Amino acid sequence: MIMKHIDCKNYIYLDCEKGMCALSKAILPIDGKGSDACPRFVTAEKCGCCLHFTNPDSHNLGTCNGFEKENWTYASCGAASCEHFKMK
Amino acid sequence: MTNEEKLNELLKQRGINPEQLTAITMEDILAQAEGCTHLMDIYYTLKNTVDMEYPYWYNRVWQENDGDITIVRRAKAMAAALSHMTVTIQPYEKLVMNKTRNVRGAFPFPWVTASFFNAQAEALMSEADAPALSEADAVSIVGEGGGNVTKSYGNIISLAKKFGIRKEEIPVLVEVSKSWNGNSVEELSNKYARYTPGYQLEQNIMESVLCMFDSYCIPQGREVMNYYLPLQYGWDGIIDLCDQRIEETMGESDGDGILGMGRGYYYVAMKIIAQGMSKWCQNYADRAHYLASIETDAVFKKNYEEIEAVMAHIAHKAPQTFRQALQLTLACHYGVVNEDPQSGQSIGRIGQVLQPFYEKDIREGITTEEEVIELLEFYRIKITCIECFASAGVTGGVLSGNTFNNLSLGGLNRDGLSAVTPLEYHIIEAGMRCRTTQPTLSILYDEKTPESFLMKAASCTKLGMGYPAWMNNQTGMNFMMMNYGPEGMNLQDARAWCLGGCLESSPCCFLPLEYDGKITWIPGGAGPTAGSGVHFVGLPKVLELVLTNGYDHRMKRQILPAHNRKLDSLEAVQEEWVNYLKQIIDVVNKVNNLQMDIWRKHCMPIVNSLLKPDCFTKGRDLGMMGGRYNATINFESCGTITFVNALSSLYKNVYKDKKYTLEQMLEAMLHNFGFKTSYETGVFSPDFREATDEASKYAQIFADCLNAPKFGNADWEADQFLKWYEDTMFGLTRSFQSYYGKPLYMCQISVSTHGPQGFVTLADAAGRLAGTTYSDGSVSAAAGTDKNGIYAIFESATVYDHGTQQNAQMNLKLHPSAVNGVQGTRKLLDIVRAYMRKGGFHVQFNIVDSKTLRDAQAKPENYRDLMVRVAGFTQYWCEIGKPIQDEVIYRTEYENA
Repeated sequence: MIMKHIDCKNYIYLDCEKGMCALSKAILPIDGKGSDACPRFVTAEKCGCCLHFTNPDSHNLGTCNGFEKENWTYASCGAASCEHFKMK
Repeated sequence: MTNEEKLNELLKQRGINPEQLTAITMEDILAQAEGCTHLMDIYYTLKNTVDMEYPYWYNRVWQENDGDITIVRRAKAMAAALSHMTVTIQPYEKLVMNKTRNVRGAFPFPWVTASFFNAQAEALMSEADAPALSEADAVSIVGEGGGNVTKSYGNIISLAKKFGIRKEEIPVLVEVSKSWNGNSVEELSNKYARYTPGYQLEQNIMESVLCMFDSYCIPQGREVMNYYLPLQYGWDGIIDLCDQRIEETMGESDGDGILGMGRGYYYVAMKIIAQGMSKWCQNYADRAHYLASIETDAVFKKNYEEIEAVMAHIAHKAPQTFRQALQLTLACHYGVVNEDPQSGQSIGRIGQVLQPFYEKDIREGITTEEEVIELLEFYRIKITCIECFASAGVTGGVLSGNTFNNLSLGGLNRDGLSAVTPLEYHIIEAGMRCRTTQPTLSILYDEKTPESFLMKAASCTKLGMGYPAWMNNQTGMNFMMMNYGPEGMNLQDARAWCLGGCLESSPCCFLPLEYDGKITWIPGGAGPTAGSGVHFVGLPKVLELVLTNGYDHRMKRQILPAHNRKLDSLEAVQEEWVNYLKQIIDVVNKVNNLQMDIWRKHCMPIVNSLLKPDCFTKGRDLGMMGGRYNATINFESCGTITFVNALSSLYKNVYKDKKYTLEQMLEAMLHNFGFKTSYETGVFSPDFREATDEASKYAQIFADCLNAPKFGNADWEADQFLKWYEDTMFGLTRSFQSYYGKPLYMCQISVSTHGPQGFVTLADAAGRLAGTTYSDGSVSAAAGTDKNGIYAIFESATVYDHGTQQNAQMNLKLHPSAVNGVQGTRKLLDIVRAYMRKGGFHVQFNIVDSKTLRDAQAKPENYRDLMVRVAGFTQYWCEIGKPIQDEVIYRTEYENA
């Protein structure tokens, strides 16, 4: 799987079409040419890469079993501030 | 001695250094801070973006706490949402935090309104399921108008013709919305509104755009923030206070069998939200720590470390520096605007609130004047980035995309002396250097306001950004005493008032901040929203329906019940107009009361109920009248002067001179005086006319309509109708009650509704053609009809006491040459002063050449940063709709002040 800038911990969200690299300060597209991650990629904490995320469907909606009550979640949801996040 | 020398002498006598003032030219204003330039360069490229992190967490925690006490459940949901969002910190930022992870970010509130998303779930999912686009398609940007995403493109779906949401988040939006199917505020309101007598009439009124706003769309805002508690105690201190109050109140009714027991739950909820706010701030400290750890550039690294220190401190403790205090107020502001769709959540008199922190830092050498101005520039950018997600009609048609976070300056302090602080000079300076749409600035003009401050403010107004606007402090205080006196407002609290939203005089109070070894009485908001009620009624449309016996010829439907009265005098027309208006207010008010009652029961304010006095003292949320003053709900009008001019022409041409029968007048109006309508031409400016074959038939009556007396010329024959209208409305609005059991009153701002409501209104008796915009504001002359100069408009506008209503809005357009040089600044201030001394409440200026605006309309790509004053707010030209652009271009331009 090719990782994208938007999946990197050093990605700074700007809007629905672009972000910025915290290292290079370059503007990074989310889609299309130039959106693939660079060698300095560090995986960002998101539900999709958490140990507690299971059974994703075709839309990447899956189950979060990291909390006392199990619930649904989605893979691209940011989890850097989640108290139960565990990187896969 | 030349005039210039005489003026300089006069200024010196008043203690003003004229050399400083004459030096203020465009070239001499210092550039904004380098970091701000970087941030604004990025800002101009940004798209308004919706993401689902906040709604996801709110929904999850709300559902997981099914069965809990509502206020506690909502506090848990909001705290979880705030504290789980991805944190964004941009390089160059010195003040941080955003509504969401995106810089111009927002999100839907399905718990407020979910019907659209549920009705469109299938279509939305189809877009989400659409095959991946080619690379070229994926990066092709078709969005237009600055940050507005008006059409879908690539992997981005347009929502509300303003926001882009990424395709992969659509299933999340659909899934979250499902939970609120049938139980959002909107749907519960609709369910119970059906029981309202006259419900079908209300539906007719809304469908015809006679009235154009449901209160649940924007249930909070148009009020003033209060930052006192966190500034005094910090989040940890507030949590301790909550623990104390829980111990004191839990299980105790304290003599109040209805609300007494609720106090315990309130304090539990407040503790939870204070913990959530604290964690949210700490998350920024943690992210800044990470960014500092990977940063190789020493300047950026230091910047991140400073952010970390500030955020870690304010996550727990009361601020000890100006920067910490300013950052904490931002955190509070974002916390409040994230709890509901909001517009007009105003900052208030922050230059007075933060003066003690500024004073101490300067005295102790902790910061410099320039560093303070720089922070205030960063602050402008932060506030400019606040977006509101609502429907296209509300966001575009009413708000023009603005969120009206107004910052007030001046006025009086608790002791009745000028409240102007040194920090407020810097706030204006920051507004001159860093030219952004928000926060707009409002001067509370008082005869006690220092001349040097007024000149500084006038110098800023001259730059053409539309701010500061000018409000009459004494008139505002008079309204406060009249409207909130019955709730116990005294003169001291009246002095604390300021603007909430673009032009809404809002109740405030002073609270004692202990800091730097002394007590400073700081002003802040003390009431709930003024942004709901009967909003916005198109007054000319009501008159049209009087003349057509309630039948809407545009919709080809009977909208209001036929009055079947022979309109054989102007008095008969006026009486039927009042009767129609009573029916409209009655039914719309009932439905809006239901909407807001359901909102306060299901979605009560949480952060705002912590901050607003006297909620914490009473142990009661803002929805349950925890605030000190609650008579804030109002009636909002649109098209006042269009209506006044139409009455004036009817009087002159039909009833006084009897040149035409009413039937002849009506026929001419229905035939648009022989011109094409704006629906046909696509031009909404009242000066554009394209004749049809029938034009000659109506040429004479059209000319007579245009020549009838018009408001704005100091002509009593026209102005008398404004006086009649205002006197009538004073009593009429107060005969209806809000859901707080308080009388309504008049709010007279059109925001941008004079575009859409003009659009639905046929030609009128004053010669305004079908579909063109109404006159703007409430006492601005209809464009092109004011022939006797600015002072004649002032004469016309002040035929009634402005202190009897919440506001009165006047927009003036001056050619830049009219206020050139220091004498121009003085002239501008003289204009303001003349109006204020006549009792005028508000005046604001577009100082721009109409040629520039026409060029910007033709070539928007060359004018990304051009700003204009629309109503009580400044907006980027390229982000406002064409009808309002046309209207601003057409406003009378004065070349001589």
